[in-house]
Amino acid sequence: MEASGTTVVSRASFIESTLRGLARGMSKALVSEHAATRPGLLQQLDPRVRVIGVLLLTVAVVVCRRFEGIVSLMMVATSIAVASRVSLASLAKRVWLVTLGFTGLIALPALFLTPGEPVFALQGLHISISAQGARTVALLVLRAETAATFTTVLVLCTPWNHILKALRSLHLPPEVVTMLAMTHRYVFLMIETANQMFESRQSRTIGTLSGSERRKMTTRTAGVLLSKSIELSHEVYLAMLSRGYRGEIHLLTDFRLRPRDYMALTAFLMTAGLAMWVGR
Amino acid sequence: MHIPDGYLSPSTCATLYVLSASGWYGSLKRIKRVFASRTIPLISVFAAFSFVVMMLNVPLPGGTTGHAVGVGVAAIVLGPWGAILAISITLAIQALFFGDGGITTLGANCFNMAIVGSFVAYGVYRWIAGKSELISRRRIVAAALAGYVSINAAALVAAIEFGIQPLLFHDANGTPLYAPYSLHVAIPAMMIGHLTIAGIAEAVISAGMVSYLQTADLGVLRGIKSVGPGSVQIVSGAPGESSKAEPSQRRLWWTVALLMLCTPVGILAAGSAWGEWSSADLKNPHKRAQIGVVSGNQAPPSSVPAGLQKLATLWTAPFPGYAPRFVRSQAFGYLLSAMFGVGFFVVTSLITSVVGSKWKRPERQL
Amino acid sequence: MASAFKIENISFDYEGIPALRGLSLHVEQGERIALLGANGSGKSTLLRILDALYFPSAGSVAFQGTPLIEERLQRNEFSLHFRRRVALVFQNPDVQLFNPTVFEEVAYGPLQLHWKKEELIQRVDETLASMGISHLRDRPPYRLSGGEKKRVALASVLVLDPEVLLLDEPTATLDPKSQSQVVDLMQEWKGTSKTVITATHQLEIVEDIAERVLVLEAGVVIADGTPADILSNSDLLLRANLVHAHRHSHGGVVHSHPHFHGRPHSEHEP
Repeated sequence: MEASGTTVVSRASFIESTLRGLARGMSKALVSEHAATRPGLLQQLDPRVRVIGVLLLTVAVVVCRRFEGIVSLMMVATSIAVASRVSLASLAKRVWLVTLGFTGLIALPALFLTPGEPVFALQGLHISISAQGARTVALLVLRAETAATFTTVLVLCTPWNHILKALRSLHLPPEVVTMLAMTHRYVFLMIETANQMFESRQSRTIGTLSGSERRKMTTRTAGVLLSKSIELSHEVYLAMLSRGYRGEIHLLTDFRLRPRDYMALTAFLMTAGLAMWVGR
Repeated sequence: MHIPDGYLSPSTCATLYVLSASGWYGSLKRIKRVFASRTIPLISVFAAFSFVVMMLNVPLPGGTTGHAVGVGVAAIVLGPWGAILAISITLAIQALFFGDGGITTLGANCFNMAIVGSFVAYGVYRWIAGKSELISRRRIVAAALAGYVSINAAALVAAIEFGIQPLLFHDANGTPLYAPYSLHVAIPAMMIGHLTIAGIAEAVISAGMVSYLQTADLGVLRGIKSVGPGSVQIVSGAPGESSKAEPSQRRLWWTVALLMLCTPVGILAAGSAWGEWSSADLKNPHKRAQIGVVSGNQAPPSSVPAGLQKLATLWTAPFPGYAPRFVRSQAFGYLLSAMFGVGFFVVTSLITSVVGSKWKRPERQL
Repeated sequence: MASAFKIENISFDYEGIPALRGLSLHVEQGERIALLGANGSGKSTLLRILDALYFPSAGSVAFQGTPLIEERLQRNEFSLHFRRRVALVFQNPDVQLFNPTVFEEVAYGPLQLHWKKEELIQRVDETLASMGISHLRDRPPYRLSGGEKKRVALASVLVLDPEVLLLDEPTATLDPKSQSQVVDLMQEWKGTSKTVITATHQLEIVEDIAERVLVLEAGVVIADGTPADILSNSDLLLRANLVHAHRHSHGGVVHSHPHFHGRPHSEHEP
């Protein structure tokens, strides 16, 4: 694709960073179920029980008002992760550091802004940290981390369509489940198409692009993606019709509850209940 | 502005879930009635598209990049109800896979971005575009403003949700249990980023895409009611067509920048509070630190720029009683100066690029 | 021989642009037909009309004697009956792979037609095995190669054991090995009671997959004959934009003749 006789000198770092972002989106999160096949704790349970359990515990995290309660729940989350053969290192990379970044940024000013008895003063800057501020930040960060841990462990241990089917049995409307499944499916296609467009542009460009050229390129990529999306959706609809779709969604579920599922469900309920009661 | 778990109290989350659920319910009902479920693949693919758009770096004038949500385009193409579903689905997937936004706060995020965002975008677009020609420039401006206003509306609602937390949910010693910033900090803090970077990114994407669709795929622009066999046709755009889009995008930048330059009008409403802030508070080191921290750890200027000072005293107290409480705060005043500054910067960039293009040779492209 | 399709004088437009004009066609059960034509000649449109996804603005289409009109397809009874018997394989496999795993994709058709669960699972596994893709059972579609995707798409229609197979460019975008696999499969249908209509522009596979060839140009049928007749008619093929004229020279002598790649230059000796 390169013009004969010239080397492509592309200092279009904008394209590179966009491509990297797209690639990251693809590989990092969406294809997540890397622990799904390991013989761990969560993997043994019916997906419905997993989803309900994680939901209960996440709600407990948010309801709990006491520091000690949230710490305990964090320990529960980490234990479940370890028991389900999820490596703590990958958890740290995926969740703990990232959430710390997000939440830390938002929470940090609260250290200084929350009124109360100062416990720590930065000399020369006239800034003090109050006890209340410290407590608030700790609560915020820990809550966010714990909730994110629960969710991530679920997603790492469970194939996406099992999560969807579990949600269906919790009476999520079938249209919504279908849309979630199809969206997940087509994100890959979209990313690939966008990648190709950016790559082909990269190899055709000599020198840097100006701001408005980059803008045009981005919006044109977005525009072409949109046109393709709509065309694709139309074709998919025809394919669905062709195979008998008439408006109702039918899903094949063959989940079966076993004794261990009931035990696990009870354990989840009790843990969440305890945390909520203790932390009220 | 995806709100993570733990920032909103359980009752806030529950309330917003209920509000969102009614939005979702309304959308699903309409899918069944109006669009006869051929919308299911349409919404799914649109949600996938929106997901990718959120990952694209949108280059902004001045050299920065921003990220758009795509709610503007979604509302224009799918209508508000379809957009609610598409954006909600994208948010759900982001929450589960990226941890971008919490699970308990999914209701809140959907309410802010999917519901408020979609309706505001649709309303603004329809109001400004009116019955103008599908290929008119007015549509592009309408799209840009729809994107800009809707993102800021969403951010405002999110900021209010944040801001009321410490008021309502704290323990005995006054420690905020959830989001710790009160309204007069939360609102400016949220709005600064969205009135500037994110809002402009959304405006760029919305306008750019409508402009593209005007030349490449008019059927889509008409809205999904007309999507059916044979009504979608991709016409390959000629490479030279960009020159048509360029003037309308230029005009767009001018419009947005001039809007921002007019922010001193807001100083009118702030009235005497603006003056108080600039004199007393800037001299108080404690307050200075506070201001500095909410302003991204940059120290505030040691004195208000002379021009602004004059303006402030000039316009002191025309409407002090009318402004809402949060407007009369120091942080809001800082927000206004940020907008003014960015607007000024954008206008300067535009002028520079117009002058510069007359002197520079265009980059060679294959 | 029972009639499969009877088309009388149909027309169809895409946003004002005519895609089919006054087309008539009679297809008997068990026929294997190749539909030739350049892009835009109306092949895909015709297949979709045969699959009752589009309805002509003029003329009539009948399947086994029953007219295919929109209202009839909206009735559950007939729709169940029709969708089981007529299957369309789209050109772009991504269109046809919208389920989370291969197993669910193949199970989609039977699910929509209300098959019983045990019967369904057994039949799906059988079909996967016969297409040699059992090992892909739990694979998501984004982890499949082009050839694998095509086989899954084929499996997802063959699972219903349809009487009529409509194939839109089945070998396009496939590598040579996958192409020959698909052609082998299509050859298995020779002599069965399956009616097969394949749209393609790859002339070299036509002899293997059909006994009757129709040539489309600008929305009308311009030729209808055996593969031997049609493929040897260079003028016709040129006119329908199915081959290109090729010029080459040997020491001062210039030859110009239509050809397509894949066929040996028997009429021209160096």
